Amino acid sequence: MTRITLTVNGEKIERDVTPRTNLADFLREDLALTGTHVGCEHGICGACTVVIDGQIARSCITYAVTCDGAGVRTIEDFDDDPLMEKLRHAFSAEHALQCGYCTPGMLVAARDLIRRGSAGDEDAIRTGMSGNLCRCTGYVGIVKAIATVAGDHDVSREEISQADVLGPAPGPAAHDSLQNIQRDAVPPAAEKRRKERVAAPTLASPSDANVQTGEITQDGSFTKLTQTITVNHPRNAVWDLMADIEKVATCMPGVSLDGPVESNHVDGRMLVKLGPINADLKGEADIIRDPENWRGVIDGKGRDARSASLARGRVEYELAETDEGNGTLIAVSIAYSLAGPLAQFSRGAIVRDLVTRLASAFAQNLEARLEGREPDQDAQALDAGSLVFSVLWDRIRSYFARLLGRKPG
Amino acid sequence: MKPVAFDYARPRTIADALELLDARPGAKILAGGQTLGPMLNLRLVQPELLIDITRITDLITVTETDDGVAIGACVTHASIEDGAIGGIASGHLDQVAAGIAYRAVRTRGTIGGSLTHADPAADWFAALLAFGAELEIAGTTGTRRIALDDFVKGAMETDLGPDELVTAVHIRKCGREARHGYHKICRKTGEFAEAIGAVTVEEKTGRFRLVAAGGSHAPVVFTDPSSLFRTADPLDVRSFDVDMTAAALRDAGMNADDYDLRLRAVAMQRAVKEAAQR
Amino acid sequence: MKKQGVGARLVRKEDDRYMRGRGQFVGDIRRAGMKDVAFLRSPVAHARITSINIPEDIQANVVTAADMASVKPITAVTSLPGFKPSNQSILAEGKVRHVGEMIALCIAPTRAEAEDLVARVEVDFEDLPPVHDMLQAREKDSPLIHEGWSDNIFLETLVDYDMADAEREAAVKVSREFSTARQCMSPIEGRGAIAEWDHRLEQLTLHTSTQMPHIVRSGLAECLGLDHGSIRVVAPDVGGGFGYKGILLPEEVCLAWAAMQFGHPVRWLEDRRENLTASANCREHHYVMTAYADKDGKLLGIDAEATVDSGAYSSYPFAACLEAAQVASILPGVYDFPHYRCHTFSAATNKPPILPYRGVARTGVCFAMELMIDAVARELQLEPTDVRLKNLVRPEQMPFDNITHKHFDSGDYPEALRQAIKAIDLKAVRKRQKKGETDGRLLGVGFAMYCEQAAHGTSVYAGWGIPMVPGHEQANARLTPDGGLELRIGAHSHGQGLETTLSQVGHEVLGIPHEKIKVVHGDTAYTPYSTGTWGSRCMVMSGGAVAEACDQLASRARGIAAKMLQCKPGEITLKDGRAHGPSGELSIEEVAHVWYRRPQDLPEDVDPAGLEVTSGYKPERDTGTFSYAAHAVTVAVDPETGEVEILDYVIVEDGGVLVNPMIVDGQIYGGAAQGIGTALYEEMIFDSEAQPLASTLSDYLLPGPTEVPSIRVFHMETPSPYTRFGVKGIGEGGAIAPPAAITNAINDALKNLGAELAVSPVTPRRIVEAIAAVRRSDAA
Repeated sequence: MTRITLTVNGEKIERDVTPRTNLADFLREDLALTGTHVGCEHGICGACTVVIDGQIARSCITYAVTCDGAGVRTIEDFDDDPLMEKLRHAFSAEHALQCGYCTPGMLVAARDLIRRGSAGDEDAIRTGMSGNLCRCTGYVGIVKAIATVAGDHDVSREEISQADVLGPAPGPAAHDSLQNIQRDAVPPAAEKRRKERVAAPTLASPSDANVQTGEITQDGSFTKLTQTITVNHPRNAVWDLMADIEKVATCMPGVSLDGPVESNHVDGRMLVKLGPINADLKGEADIIRDPENWRGVIDGKGRDARSASLARGRVEYELAETDEGNGTLIAVSIAYSLAGPLAQFSRGAIVRDLVTRLASAFAQNLEARLEGREPDQDAQALDAGSLVFSVLWDRIRSYFARLLGRKPG
Repeated sequence: MKPVAFDYARPRTIADALELLDARPGAKILAGGQTLGPMLNLRLVQPELLIDITRITDLITVTETDDGVAIGACVTHASIEDGAIGGIASGHLDQVAAGIAYRAVRTRGTIGGSLTHADPAADWFAALLAFGAELEIAGTTGTRRIALDDFVKGAMETDLGPDELVTAVHIRKCGREARHGYHKICRKTGEFAEAIGAVTVEEKTGRFRLVAAGGSHAPVVFTDPSSLFRTADPLDVRSFDVDMTAAALRDAGMNADDYDLRLRAVAMQRAVKEAAQR
Repeated sequence: MKKQGVGARLVRKEDDRYMRGRGQFVGDIRRAGMKDVAFLRSPVAHARITSINIPEDIQANVVTAADMASVKPITAVTSLPGFKPSNQSILAEGKVRHVGEMIALCIAPTRAEAEDLVARVEVDFEDLPPVHDMLQAREKDSPLIHEGWSDNIFLETLVDYDMADAEREAAVKVSREFSTARQCMSPIEGRGAIAEWDHRLEQLTLHTSTQMPHIVRSGLAECLGLDHGSIRVVAPDVGGGFGYKGILLPEEVCLAWAAMQFGHPVRWLEDRRENLTASANCREHHYVMTAYADKDGKLLGIDAEATVDSGAYSSYPFAACLEAAQVASILPGVYDFPHYRCHTFSAATNKPPILPYRGVARTGVCFAMELMIDAVARELQLEPTDVRLKNLVRPEQMPFDNITHKHFDSGDYPEALRQAIKAIDLKAVRKRQKKGETDGRLLGVGFAMYCEQAAHGTSVYAGWGIPMVPGHEQANARLTPDGGLELRIGAHSHGQGLETTLSQVGHEVLGIPHEKIKVVHGDTAYTPYSTGTWGSRCMVMSGGAVAEACDQLASRARGIAAKMLQCKPGEITLKDGRAHGPSGELSIEEVAHVWYRRPQDLPEDVDPAGLEVTSGYKPERDTGTFSYAAHAVTVAVDPETGEVEILDYVIVEDGGVLVNPMIVDGQIYGGAAQGIGTALYEEMIFDSEAQPLASTLSDYLLPGPTEVPSIRVFHMETPSPYTRFGVKGIGEGGAIAPPAAITNAINDALKNLGAELAVSPVTPRRIVEAIAAVRRSDAA
């Protein structure tokens, strides 16, 4: 619990909050100011819009603790506000509300738009109000109501406190009742987790000359990336090397095994980092080796307890002779499928982008191992980004070299 | 959709923030929270400690430098929209700021927070790659400067170390003849850009930076994009070859499908057109 | 007095509380000792639950199916032959059938802490093959969703009106495949409920965000084995419904059980992730259709096979087959043609159950039929509006029984279209198209028409045999001692403005000033039984019931006034809130005052029934009113990016007599905005594992102010011959035609490129890919 002091609707408030309490919940649950509505809790719908130190903000993604020392105004504070009075009248006259759920946020945002002089014409009003969703009215009445009030409003007489604070409110000048780190109830697992964290990657320098990456394809529920690696060892030597599952598996950044392989089965985990998201997939894998066809499959599945998400992964490889038996061409495919909250987004390509990087790092680590260049053990780390990026840029440069060479004149 | 429990700290200096970051590996920086907030609420991010840097005076500054301007990491999109960086690029960046998400998000979202997150669909990311901006980064062992080009490692992946903090963005002042273009294609106003094209052309210095961003793929910067035009004039938009550009993006490693590649190429074409018309 | 009755454009009585942040939604209600609930939901679509591991220290706060053995599953059956019922356990029992299905309930002082508990419960699954697509569900070797079923079909229906004749006679035959995306209705307020046990009344009270409190009460009684009298359901202010809140939720049953079990109030507020990934969806249709026509575009017949993705369970009370089976009866739309065949399938899949969304099956049906009309027109190189005019039911045919025996009550369909053609200025658009756009975009114009059956009652729903059949709608009217009027209805108003429009009806009958009329709704303890708010029924049904009750109240008041004025009741007329007799007059206020406060002034033989009446109402025919409209839209399509801009949108609507034209316009605008969402933005995508790929409003796009144009609405006003005041239901109509009209406009824009879209939403990607596909096939 953290003690905060702030002014809400003109009244000085002192309360204890947990750091994870967002401002909307604080206003609604602690102060019983239920006019601020919660619609999406991720900053899209605008139902929770309030004013913090003169600027409108999303109270669902602003934490109460960060508003220590701020002045907050909610819809309940605008009963006697002359501009809001005009807006209320216009909203009613133009039928700008039906169920009324979005209305408080809509009015707070509309008032701000007019106050800043940004409600010049219909397009400006529509764009200016695009952060507030209404499912009932089709916005027709809302836009008309705002236009009516804006047409009447003298912006030049408004005290616009723009840009006097460059950062998010309340800023450095505000009262601060906080001294030390404020503890919320940190779960007991935290201490343990901290120690498990792996150091930043220090991967061997990339040499992608022998690794070729193919296109991403969809194979049932699996997203699949195929690569080929060429190494200067005969096929049976490579086959034997590939039998060491621990060595093969740990070429995948973030993978570690919990014990030895028994009956072609192994327990393990994989740490995956995507920006601020960390997934710790704990699970198991089955290994199939098919010597007749020089093929192998590692089939794994894991669960990230933190996000309650499930992942499946499959690494398949097939060896072919090249360079008259002196070399081996390894076709590796890496496929994955996700289930649960981590999967439930439309921007799956971000995960693809990550998996492409992971897969490339895997192939390069594997190539290094097979060529006897042992990658640092710490390399089983979180993100493979740095590695692939330079590859990408090399390829861009080579592309332009080719392109420029082709250029006429 | 409530976050996990976390500790909270509000350091007053960059040094204090770095010390906390170093001492608590499970910490996350809160620079405005307009991207982090949703991820916290969805429990996609589960930090042990949130370090609120929005009250560090040194991060909330706009300073004229010898060759341009340094914008503190915690300067909000809204203040840039309202003119905080004034004359740089004849208001071009003010307009980019005004197009980010929604006003109620811009008032708290910060330029440093956005760049650190490195979402390929983010406006600053694309716009400032075209400017060739540099970042100032502070770490426990000192500070460093890095070109934004080198900072980005992929979609949502950056060069930032676990104990480092972006403190400022340096934007070089362009000559008066410099032209800028920015075009984003969104399904709806304020939402993730499906494709962004951004361009800066300085004919005097020969600087020409053309960016393809948006969507979910790591952005690509063309520092010598003249080859994407069929004629020598880089601002002759009619000679910009969309199909060749889409192919170039694929060849640059953008693992996207035809539609996504072509959409970026079209966004680039339209950014060039905007620059040419200025 | 300013006109306040039927037809007045009154501002709404309910606005003020919302605009001051003083509405009371379920999340705004506090109860002493209340705790919060979060549900552990399945991350996978189809699996057996092999174990649920609950850490010992939290076992007292976690509930699973094993704890709730006495509670019955939700089983919404119909009496239609061949229907296969599904059992939806309140908490998953042994098996999960869609992502988001509830496995455990966790209780804690706050929602955040409840979610902490959820994270600590681990469930082991044995995966089963998921069925993610309705056509896959229909395949012979498809995995089965429900054990004991022979296939995945809730219900199959077939109607055939001499289709073979059309095949013989037709000059042209046009075949198409259409589909509409799965959607989530997404009111801005999600579902939510607070359950508590009242020891004084020995009654469970459930505050819940619902459109149908009385139906929820019946459902709870059935699942929990309680008497209706032991349950009170209150729907407070509700933040949008659109069909999403026309359901008995397993969450509600679970909460009610928990309140009784734990002895303290419990609250659950659906968050947006639950709303999008776990709760009811709607609208996913697929059509294979062939139209037969003569060379002038006169339709001879339509042959269709329609499949609807009903999801994993049959939801209460509408059941899993309402949508698909309704397709068969309404596909012919506003047209008159002699032959028709329709084969429908309600397919079960591993996705959340569906519910009827604003427009119900009509949005999909209108999409298929109206795109087909345009396809026929393109085939015959005719103007699509000409093909429509040739086939529309004509005004002189009204009332008209169409090929599926729908009884269209009144209207002039061709006139609506003619007005729309004029308003959008078709000629000018065609001229501009010839000229071309300077920015390289392509201009297109599209039309779509529909008629909307509303307020249909017993005779229609008895045939379905679903858990809810509407009978006489009831209302209670009470004169208060100070001459005010209280109206009580069992339906619920959540944006429709019934607090205003029903007051207008009360005023129309009794002349009591609008300001003195109060409408009470949404509480089973205070209001007469009603099936609730759905099917655009309230203005017709509750409005009719209020008028009926007020009529009787007027007669009672006349009786008392007659005693006071010492004349016969028949000699009293009520006008403008006053009782006029041969020798004098009284205000209604005086009549009420005497009845309640000064009974000593009345003779002993006064009618003892008093000034409170509950009465019921059904229209003369209960087969429904049919409002209708013509939508016309011009768009500009960017063939490079697939972006679509709506340049003009016109609606010519006939909703019969309008009680409050301002509110009617609001319903049309709002419906059309949702229709634009259906047309261009909204899509619940599932991957091949039936994993939903939208859990935020950045993934599932709702139209905002810049996505909806300034729609122009024009009215015709043909009264319904069967209803009080001649009103018709209009609440859903706006949402029906936009996907069809907009897609027709886009196809019109693309026709010279040879590309044609037949899938909604028409996304930029789909447009660009359709153009690319044509180019590829041209090249090949």
